[in-house]
Amino acid sequence: MLGTAATRQEPSPPERAGELAEIVLPDQEGNDVRLGDLWKDGPAALVWLRHYG
Amino acid sequence: MQLHGARQQFEAAGVPLVLIGQLTPRHAARFRSSQHIDLPVLADERRASYKAAGAKVATFGELLGPKVVAKGILTSARTGRTQGRTLGHPAQLGGAMVIGPGNEVLWSHMSQDAGDNASPEEILAAVQPG
Repeated sequence: MLGTAATRQEPSPPERAGELAEIVLPDQEGNDVRLGDLWKDGPAALVWLRHYG
Repeated sequence: MQLHGARQQFEAAGVPLVLIGQLTPRHAARFRSSQHIDLPVLADERRASYKAAGAKVATFGELLGPKVVAKGILTSARTGRTQGRTLGHPAQLGGAMVIGPGNEVLWSHMSQDAGDNASPEEILAAVQPG
């Protein structure tokens, strides 16, 4: 139901963000952003939203 | 959105604050407009970054269990905001992460259930060590 998981999962944040760094996502205007560029020169805070709204 | 209110503190710390949502840039733009926020919002239709960040998919209880619903009601009462229509994968949970040069994960808080969200203060503390 609602695409829920059948069994409880544990969050599994990585110790290093190499895989995240290579992901390219469009921003709200459609401009591609490579995630690794966000923290190339200093820390960046990323927040993954559960939903819009 | 609480994070929008804290954006100046992130700016003062010199730390970019970026939101990532599901679906398309059009949805991201609509979200920014409806929530009156000027933070950048990236659109992750395939949820690739969610998976790479270790975000979990909730069980039914973690999504709509009594404790989660109660927390949602309290949050709505405190903030005056109610949840709108859910877009995207309804059971996908989110989280927050602070990442530094060299791909070092400096701090993370990935949600255990739908009511488990890091506060702006927690994230700010992670970007302002000491």
